[in-house]
Amino acid sequence: MSIQNLNTFDPFADAIKGSDDDVQDGLVHIRIQQRNGRKTLTTVQGLSSDYDLKKIVRACKKEFACNGTVIDHQEYGEVLQLQGDQRENICQWLTKTGLAKPDQLKVHGF
Amino acid sequence: MTEEDSIFDPQLKKKKKKKKNFDLDAALADGNSNDGTERSETATDKENLEPPQNDVDGDADENLDLDSFGKKKKKKKKPLNLEELEATLPEGTNKIGAPTEGGDEEIEDFDLDMDFSMTKKKKKKKKDLDELVAEEEKERADEKDLENESQKWVGSDRDYTYDELLTRVFGIMRDKNPEMVAGKKAKFVMRPPQVVRIGTKKTSFANFTEICKTLHRAQKHLLDFLLSELGTSGSVDGNSQLIIKGRFQQKQIENVLRRYIKEYVTCHTCRSPDTILQKDTRLFFLQCETCGSRCSVASIKSGFQAVTGKRAAIRAKTA
Repeated sequence: MSIQNLNTFDPFADAIKGSDDDVQDGLVHIRIQQRNGRKTLTTVQGLSSDYDLKKIVRACKKEFACNGTVIDHQEYGEVLQLQGDQRENICQWLTKTGLAKPDQLKVHGF
Repeated sequence: MTEEDSIFDPQLKKKKKKKKNFDLDAALADGNSNDGTERSETATDKENLEPPQNDVDGDADENLDLDSFGKKKKKKKKPLNLEELEATLPEGTNKIGAPTEGGDEEIEDFDLDMDFSMTKKKKKKKKDLDELVAEEEKERADEKDLENESQKWVGSDRDYTYDELLTRVFGIMRDKNPEMVAGKKAKFVMRPPQVVRIGTKKTSFANFTEICKTLHRAQKHLLDFLLSELGTSGSVDGNSQLIIKGRFQQKQIENVLRRYIKEYVTCHTCRSPDTILQKDTRLFFLQCETCGSRCSVASIKSGFQAVTGKRAAIRAKTA
């Protein structure tokens, strides 16, 4: 155990660190929508526009073995859309690749 | 986390009940005002146990419990229950909505609904009854065991075990400050949502209004949240049930409800469910009645909705 008061503490460490390696800011909303029958769609909204969403979707399609597109929405920007319930997959993948932190992911739906 | 998790958890409810019964003994010994409430509670329990001839009355009691679950004012509960014991059956049903202070404006609307749904509830209640009986018996058995064990060493010379000491210290704590006990007992037990499929494409959430009432939230707010979370459309129909488009199971609805409770019902600071949701300059604020904290909560946004219907139909509508 060390004496905490004697430690040098840089209060701005977080801020400095946050600015350079964190491209993603704000929440990534992951939603699910029911289609006809037991089919579903997964949408990923709020990924930073600095990322190349087309490349992301290409990787996701390959990884999850599903189809998907990037949809340009005037209000929400570019939205990733994947077929099937990929909520778990996309959460894991986004954290694994470091595109978003686990606390930035917000999963909606049932 | 624990509290949100526990909301639908029967296990925890049981545990709490156990504690409460312990307290009964303690309170009896102490002779303070608390035991009145306890006794009345056991009385209601007994009434619930009683077979159907008392059905309506029991039903009323249950509803009342539901109303006051969110609050920790046990004292308030006591007179009401007593009243109800004395009251005849139909009167009991009328009283359901009246005594709560929480839901204020909604109550008038709900009262009517409740009466309508009475017949339905009866059927369901019988099932509950059986469970209750079984649970109660088990509890009592547990109870006695524990009780005996905790008292065993008092007279004897042998060493006490950790568990015995633990029960003892908790007993003392409850004896000394009944308020804390009341706080502990502010359990937030909810009926599980009743979800039934209507046909192949729609789902009915039968006790939607009841749950709104339990949570002390406006129907519209919960409705907005549910629909935006599930990404569908739906409405409340004449029988005060919510009809949602799409297939959903009870578990799924339960999940969403749990998230709602976490965000909009339990206090973010002290996790007490005793909160009020206010709208203030376009923002919703959660005001806690227990700790007095006030914080803003996320607004309900549906976000991006993909096109799932027929595109031709949409085109026809817009053009």
